[in-house]
This record gives sequence, structure tokens and C-alpha cells, in this order.
Amino acid sequence: MRSPLARAEGLGSAKGGVKHWWAERVSAVALVPLTVWFLGSVIAHAGGDYDAVITWLKTPLASLAMIVLLLALFHHTALGLQVVIEDYVHSDARFAALIAVRLGCLALASAGIVATLRIVFSP
Amino acid sequence: MIVESSDQVARFTLLKRFPVPRNFKVTPESRIEKGRTWPAPPGASRIKTFEVYRYDPERDGNPRIDTFEVDLDDCGPMVLDALIWIKNKVDSTLAFRRSCREGVCGSCAMTLDGTNWLACTRFISDMSKPATIYPLANLPVIKDLVPDTTHLFAQYEMIEPWLHATTPTPEKERLQSPQERSQVDGYYECILCFCCTSGCPSHWWNGDRFLGPAVLLQSWRWLADSRDEAKEKRLDTLEDPFRLYRCHTILNCTRTCPKGLNPGKAIAEIKKMVVEREG
Repeated sequence: MRSPLARAEGLGSAKGGVKHWWAERVSAVALVPLTVWFLGSVIAHAGGDYDAVITWLKTPLASLAMIVLLLALFHHTALGLQVVIEDYVHSDARFAALIAVRLGCLALASAGIVATLRIVFSP
Repeated sequence: MIVESSDQVARFTLLKRFPVPRNFKVTPESRIEKGRTWPAPPGASRIKTFEVYRYDPERDGNPRIDTFEVDLDDCGPMVLDALIWIKNKVDSTLAFRRSCREGVCGSCAMTLDGTNWLACTRFISDMSKPATIYPLANLPVIKDLVPDTTHLFAQYEMIEPWLHATTPTPEKERLQSPQERSQVDGYYECILCFCCTSGCPSHWWNGDRFLGPAVLLQSWRWLADSRDEAKEKRLDTLEDPFRLYRCHTILNCTRTCPKGLNPGKAIAEIKKMVVEREG
């Protein structure tokens, strides 16, 4: 029985969303050089043994770039998957899916960073 | 295509139907069935076949596709002429909206050969064989080719598409330099036919909250107007994860606009303006 205007208004404007959108763009831009660097490094060490890779990752620049890559990558993944879920999941599962994606990306980023730090600080 | 200058004519770009099974996820009562065939009048030599979506809510039964054979020697050059010919000479129960027959009223927007366009600005000779005519997608059908646009106009009403000014009304008109006036070029021409919004996948999935390209282009038309004094209120209304940011730059809107406008660019301009406001 609601009027068409009331239906269109819904709960009103969230007066937000620009931070999410902007963070997605900025992380995407950051990922361009980081991904190029990462792939280049992996190819450069393609024939190398375990020690060579560890030595490379222990250099300050490599470990720093790796941690920034992990942060940007999983932040971008979380933001993007959130949009996909909001687009397509219209049931009660949406809330659970959003939390799962957030926590999953946080867990993966943490695991990657901890692993990198363990390598950096290993004797 | 995007019209860049006034000597260009907007032309549709061919896009064939996306290969999903027919009637995919369509409820049983909406499944389209085969209707009847209306043969051309005897003696007609140049015949064009039109497959037209028919639905009458006052009769039981599913929507159906009727096949009309049109005598091109007795009919004008546009698809709308063919529809009027059918209504006058074959089946007077065929329902469709039309008014200006020259692409400025936006009434006869429909899905022609799978893409949205105005029936009055599409040449019959540009249609495939057989030509297909459906109502605009993703809208409730009132009858045949007449969709219910109530929700779309409610969304339009929500953005308050008129000049907001607190400066007292001057004795004459509110002045605008030619340069300021040019800022609404490419946006003020929108005729609200909703070809774009009907073709927008984001509006298909979240049309209850996402405003859609037509309404967002109209929002930008007022945000870009130098005389308007309600940017804060307008941006507050729009800045919402669903109302504005459901646009993922799919650009079906720009492809299908029969006026050659670029709703995708208008939405990008709104997003840029919101970022600018943030600092």
C-alpha cells in the first residue's frame, strides 16, 4: 500500500559509500606496479633454489613490497567481493557472506604477513 | 554510439542476444508462447515479418509472440509506422505508447531486435529477419508493448529534478554564461525514454535501490547546472552504496541511448564530484 515515492526512497540515503569506492580504485592502482614487481621477481627466481628465494625475500625492499602487496591485494579482494555479494545475494545469507568474506580476507592477509615476517626474522 | 555534434544521427550498434537458454529463470506464468500469424494482405509484394510480444492481463494465458506480415509498400519507413499499420489494418487490440513520432517524447521505447531503441527512429530496413519487438525489459508489462514505469518515475521524482535556489528570484531570468550553459550539453537532451535503465544489469538486480542510468544522468544535469544551489543536498541524496555506487560501468546505457547521450560518463562525473567533496 506504500506510495511509489516511498518505495523509491526506501530507508533513505546512507550518505556514504565513497570511501569504499575510492579505496577500491586506489588499491587497484597500487596493485598494478606491485603485481608487475611480484611476477617479475617470481620469474627471475624461477630456476633458483630455496635459499636464493629466502635471501631475496629477506632484503628490506622485497619484504616491504611483499607486505604492501598482501595488504593491497586482500583489501581489494574484500572490497570487490563485498560488491559482488551485494549485487547478487538478496537473501538472509547476504549478511553471513559479507562477514565470511571480510574475515576470510583478513585471515589470508594476516597469514601472508606473518609468514613474510617469520622469513625476515629467521636466522 | 555517442553523438558528439548536432549534424550526427544516433545509430544503434548491433548486439545479438546473449546466449542463455530462452525462458531462463522465468516464472511459468511469464513464459512466452507461440501466438497466431497474421498474413499479409493479398497482392502485397514487399513483405516484412514482425514478431511482436503480446500480453493481455484481462485474458487468461501466458504472453505470446504474434507474427505480423507487413506490406511495406503500404507502410511508412519506421518501425513505429509498422506498428501503427498493424494497429490500423490488422489487429486493433495491439497496445503501444507513441506520441511525437520523431524521437523527442520518449514514449515508444521498446526492445527492437534485442536492444532498446525508439520505434520511431529505427528504420524497418535496419531490422533483422524476422524483426522482433518486445516491451522494455525488467519492467512489469501492463499490456503488449506498454511497460509500467511507475517506479522509474518515482525514482526520478526523488532526485527533485528542478532548479533549487535560495537566492531570491531575480527580476528577469537567472543568468548563465555560454560556457556555463555548455556544461549541461549532452545531458539536458535526455527524453526519459528509459531505454538505458531497462538495459542496465545493475538495475535488473537492484532496481529497488539503484537509481539507474536515466535518473543519475538527470541528477548530473542538475549538479552541472551553474544556477543550481543545492549541490550538498543532491550529493547527499545520491551518495549511497546502492543508489549511486551500484553502477559498475557496464555501459549498456551508453550503447543503447537512442539520443546518443552518455549516461555512463554522467555517472562517472557524479562519482568524481563526490570524491572532490571529500577533499
